[in-house]
Amino acid sequence: MSEKTHDGHTELTDNELRVRALESLLTERGLVDADALNELIDTYETKIGPRNGFKVVARAWTDPEFKKRLLEDGNAALAEMGYEGRQGETMVVLENTPKIHNMVVCTLCSCYPWPVLGLPPAWYKSFPYRSRAVIDPRGVLKEFGVEIGDDVDIRVWDSTSETRFIVLPERPAGTEDMTEEELVEIVNRNSLIGTALVEAPSAIGDQS
Amino acid sequence: MPLLTKEMVPGMLRQGDGFKVDIDIPPKFSVGDRIRARDINPEGHTRLPRYARGRQGVIDKDYGVFVFPDTMARGEGKNPQHLYSVRFMFSELWGPDARAGDSVYVDMWDDYMDPA
Repeated sequence: MSEKTHDGHTELTDNELRVRALESLLTERGLVDADALNELIDTYETKIGPRNGFKVVARAWTDPEFKKRLLEDGNAALAEMGYEGRQGETMVVLENTPKIHNMVVCTLCSCYPWPVLGLPPAWYKSFPYRSRAVIDPRGVLKEFGVEIGDDVDIRVWDSTSETRFIVLPERPAGTEDMTEEELVEIVNRNSLIGTALVEAPSAIGDQS
Repeated sequence: MPLLTKEMVPGMLRQGDGFKVDIDIPPKFSVGDRIRARDINPEGHTRLPRYARGRQGVIDKDYGVFVFPDTMARGEGKNPQHLYSVRFMFSELWGPDARAGDSVYVDMWDDYMDPA
């Protein structure tokens, strides 16, 4: 939660106040255990996050057998790395190629592969992203700074069931000599949702 | 008494929820079948997006048997049935001006569609 502090005051939004009031009531009445709540928050703040996904991508790029298993049976391959559980009961990995760009949305709410990426970013839950991704993905991607060529088909995956989708981005040219450990560091979260590409380190450097 | 204690959290998160049902129910559709999404407008919960209703698509994958969220939300039971990934071309959803190769994949249960 964001707290804007000025003049010595702490200002909370209506939503933040409502959540705090609910938390206090539920804790005081013994319905919610404060330690359990902290454990949940700690899990998704420090243990489960997008870095899990970066490791999956780096391994898929460097281990063809793992990549094959990952695309054939996402759950089994991800469980090999210890990534399984809530909000990832059925996981499907979608491979980007020079001719196909995959992009994930949940038009109904905010379904997201928690075991691999942690909790969804705010934009993923926003009405504009959810309503526009299925009708104007190229326009949305442009706003993310991604230009998809006219010779590339876009496949938008709407998470309407309990299936959770993960995009396997293309390995960028110029990374052929990098190790799995080095590749982990160049992957970014949005590339696993399909709203970003992965760039080689020199290209990243050129932009800054 | 809290329903969840700190000690229960890791196991609860690891286990997840079971929406997949391990019973043998014959699928109504096969991969490659052309379907038309039903034009349903229930008052309660449904996972069938409005933009797909009444539109034609093709079965891309059969995920197996899953609980049906529409009846679960109404307290009418699991009503297990096959769940599929269905591909809808942009031209079918958004008209002839849409780019020909682009598409949306929607997860759909047997009760959301009829043969086209």
